[in-house]
Amino acid sequence: MLDRLSIRARLTAAFAAAMLLILALAAVFVYLTVESDLEEALDESLSARADDVAALVGTREGGIDGPRLDVQRVGEDEEGFAQLVDADGRLLRATVPEAEPAITAGEAASAADRAIFITREQPGIDGEARILARPAGEVGTSVVVVGASTEDNEETLAGLAGAFAVGAPVALLLASGLGYVLAGRGLAPIEAMRRRAGEITLEHSGERLPLPPADDEVCRLGQTLNSMLDRIEASLERERVFVADASHELRTPLANLRAELELANRPGRSANEMRAALLSAAEEVDRLSRLAEDLLVIARSEQGRLPIRREPVELLPLLERVRERFGGSARERGRELAIDARAGATAKLDPLRIEQALGNLVDNALRHGEGPVRLSAALGDGMVRLEVSDRGPGFPAGFEELAFERLTRADGGRSGGGAGLGLAIVRAIAAAHGGSAEVTGDGGSATTVRISVNA
Amino acid sequence: MRVLVVEDEPKMAALIRRGLREEGMAVDVAGRGEDALWMAAATEFDAIVLDVMLPGIDGFETCRRLRADSIWAPVVILTARDAVEDRVAGLDGGADDYLVKPFSFAELLARLRALVRRGPVERPVVLEVGDLRLDPATRQVWRRDREISLSAKEFALLEVFMRRAGQVLSRFQLLEHAWDYEYENRSNVVDVYVRYLREKIDRPFGTDSIETVRGAGYRMRKA
Repeated sequence: MLDRLSIRARLTAAFAAAMLLILALAAVFVYLTVESDLEEALDESLSARADDVAALVGTREGGIDGPRLDVQRVGEDEEGFAQLVDADGRLLRATVPEAEPAITAGEAASAADRAIFITREQPGIDGEARILARPAGEVGTSVVVVGASTEDNEETLAGLAGAFAVGAPVALLLASGLGYVLAGRGLAPIEAMRRRAGEITLEHSGERLPLPPADDEVCRLGQTLNSMLDRIEASLERERVFVADASHELRTPLANLRAELELANRPGRSANEMRAALLSAAEEVDRLSRLAEDLLVIARSEQGRLPIRREPVELLPLLERVRERFGGSARERGRELAIDARAGATAKLDPLRIEQALGNLVDNALRHGEGPVRLSAALGDGMVRLEVSDRGPGFPAGFEELAFERLTRADGGRSGGGAGLGLAIVRAIAAAHGGSAEVTGDGGSATTVRISVNA
Repeated sequence: MRVLVVEDEPKMAALIRRGLREEGMAVDVAGRGEDALWMAAATEFDAIVLDVMLPGIDGFETCRRLRADSIWAPVVILTARDAVEDRVAGLDGGADDYLVKPFSFAELLARLRALVRRGPVERPVVLEVGDLRLDPATRQVWRRDREISLSAKEFALLEVFMRRAGQVLSRFQLLEHAWDYEYENRSNVVDVYVRYLREKIDRPFGTDSIETVRGAGYRMRKA
């Protein structure tokens, strides 16, 4: 049942329970202490009175036959008495003359030897009586008996109990109220955070949970949640930028396509012009589908779902296929395209993906690099290292890492063609193989991009 | 009509050139913003079609520099970037129109014709009169290098003065341009605001850029 209550109610209940226990213990302790103190004080006053009576008995006037025991009368008859009895319990003298002996013969006999305390109902005394009986002088002769009502003590204790009965619930109520308020105060920042959390949509950046001023657990929780929001927002922002960039990239061939078709549709076009327009349009459609495919690869790899089908691949034929694909464009540019791999070396790779990655690198080297392009593959330490290098100046300083981000180009424009996805795809393919891709350059005359994956 | 096309994607550049030439326009193509700057400085183009994603300085910056060089040829930004922030950056940077790719040639041509009708009027993004400068986009005002903070109404009034520097403006004209119909109490509000304005733009600098023309109104000194 308690589990279903709010934390505030539970804290208050726990606080109240603890308070109740403390109050009860304190009440019992105080009651018992006061009770024993009162008893002790009563006994002491009885002893003192007995001493006085005994001293009086010793004198002539107060002697056994003396008349003056009634000087020891204290207050009302109902509150106390003094008697002198002999060792057999017969009453010799008394403050209240017609009284019965306050102690029995047996008690008198033992009291003649030593002092005894008795507590019991006594006729003529309100409430219970506390009685002290002790030898009057010589041991074994007569006995002084003094008694006092315990009613005052009872009343004091009853008053104390009454005060507890009234005060404790009030104190408990006050403490619980205080506990409720304090718990509410302590939990208020959580409530504030909860309310804000219900409003945060991340559509507007920078919305964060409010933090309490104190550096406490709640504050740390808020800080942790806020840094989580930072990370989510950053990744959403990356997504947003990607979608914006991707749509921008898709618009470029679409714009060309539309312009081409609109121009072709103007009146008076010859058959040759129409054919040229159709060829150009087909080129743009190719570009669009390549772009769509590339974007799909990137999107999948970012979700960690780029499928890799590993199979034993001979490295040399793999490189030869890449060289064959780019042989034409290398010759057009007057560039040499060399390959280097040990015959018979094999590794378990996804041949299509690796070929795509190498193709992107060779394409980059041909378009942006200079001099001969060298394509090599080497096995070692259970790794395959595939390298594409050229004699170009490579990437501008500081762009090496950025180069692998999707849709980035060193120059910001796109006169060299390409959407800036090439290296991003290379890295995605390397990552899907559980490997990595990196650029190294000597800052001027050689640039190498290396893919390292498990063989 | 002579048009400068600034576009780094060769195929797009060729298509635009062909499309405009077939409409009888003379077309030059620049592949970079830097090239566009010197070409526009050397030749008086009737219009400039400007891409944003360019190698080197981008289209927005190219446009700003054209205006800074006092080249007032109408600029159409033609780009695949369609975000609102991009459009705002382009137009506030001094462009006259903004067209998103893929576009229709018919629309590009119509927009070019409309812009050319307006002609190359001087229309700086930041207004300058003497050493007083006002940027309507960021709503900032400076005298020399010190920024002056103005209320919205003072700013509006100063903009009216600066757009017509040297002209005598009657109280009625000032009311017409800086206040709307909802403002009923028109007795001496202009005089009050002119006084506020002088307190802020003239008094602290010991200048006297807004002068009273007895019986006619006010005038902002040209320099």
